[in-house]
Amino acid sequence: MSTSARTDIFARLRHAAGSAGEDVLARRDELGHAPPPALPAEDLAEAFLCNVLRNRGSIDTAADRSAAVKAVGRYVYQHYRSQRLVAGNDPRLAAMPWRDAGVLPRFGALESGEAVALSFARLGVAELGAAVTWTGKGNPAVNNLLPEHHIVLVDVDDLVATMEDAWQRMADAMREQGRPRGVNFIAGPSSTADIEGQLVYGAHGPRHWHVILLGETAPDTGQRARERAAGS
Amino acid sequence: MTETQHAHHGTRGKPSVALFVTCLADLLRPSVGEASLRLLRHARTAVSVPPQQTCCGQPAYNSGDYDAVRPLAKQVIAMLEYADYVVLPSGSCAGMICEHYPRLLEGEWRDRALQLAAKTYELTTFLVEVAGLEIQAQAPGSGPTVAYHDSCAGLRELDIREQPRKLLRELCGADIRELQQRDVCCGFGGTFCAKMPEISAKMADDKLNDVLATGAPILTGGDLGCLLSLAGRARRLDMDIEVRHVAELLVGDTDGPAIGEGD
Amino acid sequence: MESTSDRFLLNASEALRDTPRAQRRDVMAAFTPLIRNAAVEGFAAFEATRQHVKRVRQHSLDNLAFYLGQFEHEAVQNGMRVHFARDAGEMNSTVLDICQQHGARRVAKGKSMVTEETGLNDFLQDAGLTVRETDLGEYIIQEAGETPSHIVGPALHKSADEIRDLFLQKHDLGERELAATGDMVDEARQVLRRQFLDAEVGIIGSNALIAENGYSMLVTNEGNGDLCANLPPVLVICTTIDRVLPRAEDAAAMLRLLVRSATGQAQTCYTSYYSGPRRAQDPDGPLETHIVLLDNGRSDILEGDYREMLECIRCGACLNHCPIYSSVGGHAYGWVYPGPMGSVLTPLLTSLEASAALPNACTACGRCAEVCPADIPLPDLLRDLRAQESEQRIDAARWRLGLRMHAWLARQPRLYRALTSLAMTLLHRLGHRRGAFRRLPLASGWTGQRDFPVPQGKTFMQRYRQRQREH
Repeated sequence: MSTSARTDIFARLRHAAGSAGEDVLARRDELGHAPPPALPAEDLAEAFLCNVLRNRGSIDTAADRSAAVKAVGRYVYQHYRSQRLVAGNDPRLAAMPWRDAGVLPRFGALESGEAVALSFARLGVAELGAAVTWTGKGNPAVNNLLPEHHIVLVDVDDLVATMEDAWQRMADAMREQGRPRGVNFIAGPSSTADIEGQLVYGAHGPRHWHVILLGETAPDTGQRARERAAGS
Repeated sequence: MTETQHAHHGTRGKPSVALFVTCLADLLRPSVGEASLRLLRHARTAVSVPPQQTCCGQPAYNSGDYDAVRPLAKQVIAMLEYADYVVLPSGSCAGMICEHYPRLLEGEWRDRALQLAAKTYELTTFLVEVAGLEIQAQAPGSGPTVAYHDSCAGLRELDIREQPRKLLRELCGADIRELQQRDVCCGFGGTFCAKMPEISAKMADDKLNDVLATGAPILTGGDLGCLLSLAGRARRLDMDIEVRHVAELLVGDTDGPAIGEGD
Repeated sequence: MESTSDRFLLNASEALRDTPRAQRRDVMAAFTPLIRNAAVEGFAAFEATRQHVKRVRQHSLDNLAFYLGQFEHEAVQNGMRVHFARDAGEMNSTVLDICQQHGARRVAKGKSMVTEETGLNDFLQDAGLTVRETDLGEYIIQEAGETPSHIVGPALHKSADEIRDLFLQKHDLGERELAATGDMVDEARQVLRRQFLDAEVGIIGSNALIAENGYSMLVTNEGNGDLCANLPPVLVICTTIDRVLPRAEDAAAMLRLLVRSATGQAQTCYTSYYSGPRRAQDPDGPLETHIVLLDNGRSDILEGDYREMLECIRCGACLNHCPIYSSVGGHAYGWVYPGPMGSVLTPLLTSLEASAALPNACTACGRCAEVCPADIPLPDLLRDLRAQESEQRIDAARWRLGLRMHAWLARQPRLYRALTSLAMTLLHRLGHRRGAFRRLPLASGWTGQRDFPVPQGKTFMQRYRQRQREH
């Protein structure tokens, strides 16, 4: 049945729209690109953090890996008075100097009862204020989707301005590493407005989304992002 | 087509204007036609009123009877193309000529439709943007307090927004109270109001309540269709709203009964 | 899904009398355009992006066989199993076969208008499966035994009180009262979390298919679709053949329009791209992934005069901006897709005869076309459908003949003048004191709801000619 449905549908499409010539891809490339969206700030890090805040995420910055684990520890302690969290089997996460913050993550996939998960993003997209993760060994999908608090580390070197830039980088990576099962652009805590249009956070996924930007940024980048987000 | 064209080709350097009063003004509210005529003369144009004019064909067109409208559209084009400009006191009828005649016709007739479209204007747009009407500006607030209803066709097809407001303010010192929902349809929609009367009435009620909330005693606008429908609904609900076409207000013709009012 | 589009006017009449719902619709109608406008104003490149995406969509539809083939090839490379379905029945039985092959009993579903179109839930449930909608809005209406009233916010017709009562009735809540909206969301979150974990099959829809890499894009705020795509051992994506875009960057450009138009956000919480089962070392994810590509009339639309309708990205902006949709609500339209886009799609996907009222549920105000991110001339398409009704004589004969007679009369100026002058003089004499008629023969459509303003007497053309003669 499926084969004949396939044949049938393709026959109808060719009839309706003419058969595709060799030059389809050439004509596709002639379409050019969408105009680039404006960013809220010239500085990529500031623009990214500003949009994270607009997405109702919270932000922190960490100049190095030691500062990053301390920022993680601080966040977890603030919310749970504990040091417990789960992190994916990402080599970059395993190599963090966790002892500096007295935090010892459990590495693996989130299990029932665990409230905080940490992911290391592949990319941060300034245009969206989104962190991009790929499903895979180092990044169980449930760690993004099921915790109450989702913390994401984004390396400042992995920031890109637009989705087009993100796909460019990912296409290169996919050529080397193969395509992942899933690519997730995460931009904020899970939300719903399905009851009378009222916005509520924590629909199915995380109620809180915390982004820590790791690496050298201009002084006071976080503060400027906060001011910019508050002003808009 | 035996009646002679009354071509007044630019007498004494004045541009010739063919006034198409529209069927609703012709039949139900001739004072709108009179007012348009006065405004165009005041704007130093050589106005003529083509005697064969009837209706632009919107009712059948909007109901999808394209075949019935094509010959009428051709007749209207042939009737009007002699003039330098064509002016109508209605956004939707001007939109019919500018937007929809070219869509409806093909070949040579499409070209003629496009040429006509290029010189066809809704009244207030023509006065402000083409004729550059000389205005002795009135003191703000010295005139009537009005709410202005933007008709959809004028608003979206012809971008009529500021032109009538400018004229109302400057020509008659009107105090314009803006509606909350300026860009929402009043529910007239031509035959829609008679095909789906309940929905249409709901939309008219929303518009009328919006008007009442402004506190303006007068509702005006540039399209008689909307105004007749709103006045009729206001009458039915005993709402105290005086409805007049913008052309009437611009010439100060406010002594006679408003739309839907008795002597 | 069963259609009641042939009862549009009755449905609408009932809806107008339901005052609390009508009031909520008014509130939404005032509110949603504001947030959409704010989002669009905050995105300076909106119009340029809209025109770019329009060209891309036209190009993909012009070469749909090519791009669908490319998508299929890439998706298969990624490990997807690709199925084609000519009609609703084929899609439903394909999905059921997949479920049965895995001995599945429980299905968790993300929001999908396509499966509403095919009536998949009922079909699977009739075969003994438990199907659980997991989008909060879809979950609410499933619990209530209703259908979506909006393609983006399916339960927006229900008040918080109604939803609270529904949960109190259906769930074992103990002492909890669910006073706040957040409490209700939490309740659904807890109930549904178990459903995700227990389901053997997850079903989701697709916002776009990317030909160059075989991914299917999913755009949500709740994250429920992602849970459906990641937790159950089998994933089925149900979508239609017209969703294909050439490149990932095209999906990105379309996304910028979609989110702003749909919810007034600059970005939704989750935008995900899925293709294929878990890879060798993956700790989680489905073991088997299917995609079912449905035609169900799309190839006919592609061939006909309404091709532009296939460029629709299902954002719901035309619903939010349509004064008729906000007057009568989505259910009045009687099928899956309401509002302006639904009034075009329903006749094309079901039957014009059975949905003849829908193309007439339009004042041609043009607000839908103005905001449509796909730049579809919806009022023109609706008028063309009315033209088709007129040609096929499925509109009311009295209207067709009356308007045709009017158009004919308008071409006979002398006769028109004579008849109208007489009629106006007569009407003026009868009604000038009161100024408006409460009733008028042959005009009950008008006078049923409003008075008919009395003409001023002599027509303009009579007056003008008289003056010409006097000069």
